[in-house]
Amino acid sequence: MAKDKATYEVPIGPIHPALKEPFKVDFKLEGEEIVDADPKPGMNHRGVEFMGMHRHPMKVIPLAERTCGICSIVHQHMYTSAVEHAAGIVPTDRSRYIRTIMMELERIHSHVLWAGVAAHEIGFDTHMHFTWKIREKVMDLLEEISGNRVNYSMWTFGGVRRDIEEDMHPKIEETLDYYGDLYDKLEDIFLGDPSIRHRTKDIGILTKEKALELCGVGPTVRGSGVKKDVRIDQPYCAYPDLEMDYVLPSRYGHENKGDVFSKTLVRLKEILQSIDLIEQCIEKMPEGDITSEPNKAGIFNKLKKASGEGIGRLEAPRGEAMHYVRLTEDNEDVENWKIRASTYNNLATYAPMFMGEQIADIPIIAACIDPCIGCMDRAEIVDLDTGEKQEYSKEELHELSVQKTEEMLGGFDR
Amino acid sequence: MNQERLPLDLEELETYFNEELDDKIEEIRTEKIDKGLSQKPMKLLWMTVSREHFREAVEVISDIQTPHLSVASGSDKGDFVELIYHFMVNHGYRQEETAVNLKVHLPKDDLTIPTITDIIPGAITTEREKQEFLGIDVIDIPDDRRMWLDENYPEDRYPWRWDEQGMEDMSRHVHEDEETFEEPVAERVKDEEDGE
Repeated sequence: MAKDKATYEVPIGPIHPALKEPFKVDFKLEGEEIVDADPKPGMNHRGVEFMGMHRHPMKVIPLAERTCGICSIVHQHMYTSAVEHAAGIVPTDRSRYIRTIMMELERIHSHVLWAGVAAHEIGFDTHMHFTWKIREKVMDLLEEISGNRVNYSMWTFGGVRRDIEEDMHPKIEETLDYYGDLYDKLEDIFLGDPSIRHRTKDIGILTKEKALELCGVGPTVRGSGVKKDVRIDQPYCAYPDLEMDYVLPSRYGHENKGDVFSKTLVRLKEILQSIDLIEQCIEKMPEGDITSEPNKAGIFNKLKKASGEGIGRLEAPRGEAMHYVRLTEDNEDVENWKIRASTYNNLATYAPMFMGEQIADIPIIAACIDPCIGCMDRAEIVDLDTGEKQEYSKEELHELSVQKTEEMLGGFDR
Repeated sequence: MNQERLPLDLEELETYFNEELDDKIEEIRTEKIDKGLSQKPMKLLWMTVSREHFREAVEVISDIQTPHLSVASGSDKGDFVELIYHFMVNHGYRQEETAVNLKVHLPKDDLTIPTITDIIPGAITTEREKQEFLGIDVIDIPDDRRMWLDENYPEDRYPWRWDEQGMEDMSRHVHEDEETFEEPVAERVKDEEDGE
């Protein structure tokens, strides 16, 4: 093999403790071009499932929501609904609507957060600060409703623990209007800006066939034109009663290409969809109790007698996720618990997306499935021919990405 | 299968599986759970097959539509390990998606299962996970490297097992002192058993 065509191995990751879920990707490069990508997760495996399998189902609720800091509602809901399924507990109608509102608010905050991360990766820190600033508004609303900015502790078996009362509606509407008004600006920045378009169009392409056979989920595959959305396919909570459609780029006059641009488009349009869904929920929300089991002893009794298996499944901001729970009569603890988060399925989609791309595109492609980008902490390049090592820090890799943007634009003032 | 027949409702799916797999199915049941005010149910199908017919069953499911494999969950049930492959079919059709949960029982003395990555390439992550967490040997798996657990975690211990190959005894010693984190826990437990 000629010297200039040597294959380099570039491990990127794993640890950046400040961000969620550290993980590592081993790249094989020929010159600047990526020829193979091998993701290695597990650096942050804390044995949550093992811990859960030694606890009473009631005690697992707070544990479940601490699986992830961004989508704590997601894991709380899946675990709770899996146990409800196994134990035959039916949540009240009003609580289904409250759950839906909370989940959609979380989707807004997660997508806005992601937009900021994506902007940062390609060197637009002004946009990052702008999106993270506007994200505060929905965090404030979540705090107003639940009492917490993260780990909301809202769910219980049979319903929720806090009501959304009439006097909270103006605050919710104000927040929705705030995002509605800002939406055009967001779209202008992320879809209209020519320099961002240059960095996202035709980069990190995932074809529809690959997306289907690799069982990818969420906006990652909807950008490729795959109709997969649990909220529509197998609706839960209040979704069967709400009007909604799959968010695909083709609905907005774009090609279902599966590049970073398509995924950005899907996530942005989903913010609008979430606003619409919350409005529908507030309009249709029925009167009634917020939980079907207000008496704790009643729940404990039901859980003690419960025997069966249940599935909790939903469309998280990052895509479909599910929990499997089994309870048995002779064991008061949860007998089996399996957590399947969205990034777990999207890991396999990395390899086809990275193939043929450049080192400078690693940050934006890695971020486009909305995983943790903590993996970008540190990279090391080993020349296989000479055994020579070269190290890239997160900053240097980021700098490479920014340089690419600059070169593309012929230099601009950062 | 002719794609125009999609989506299949729960009864059609049950008939389809009964026709295609016939007596190879050990147990089959369907389930509907009401969701939402409009009371449109969530649909599930549970099916048990033996290991010999497992791949055939997966092929039959794949014939309906490129299935979505959510995950394979597994549990130690004493004499055997139960694996449940959670497939989703009818995706892309409004309120028609159905969970097909395929169960396989593997005896403890022969924990092997054929790979399905040639039928569904996306199954690789979950197959690798089952190897690490339950000690199952996935035959012909294209990539059998360890994925989730730490390098110094012992080879013959599996977190989701409840027998002597589980990590019950190890987990009781983790908090004791800093040394535990230095040397592999299994060795420490062994030393204690030897009376050192």
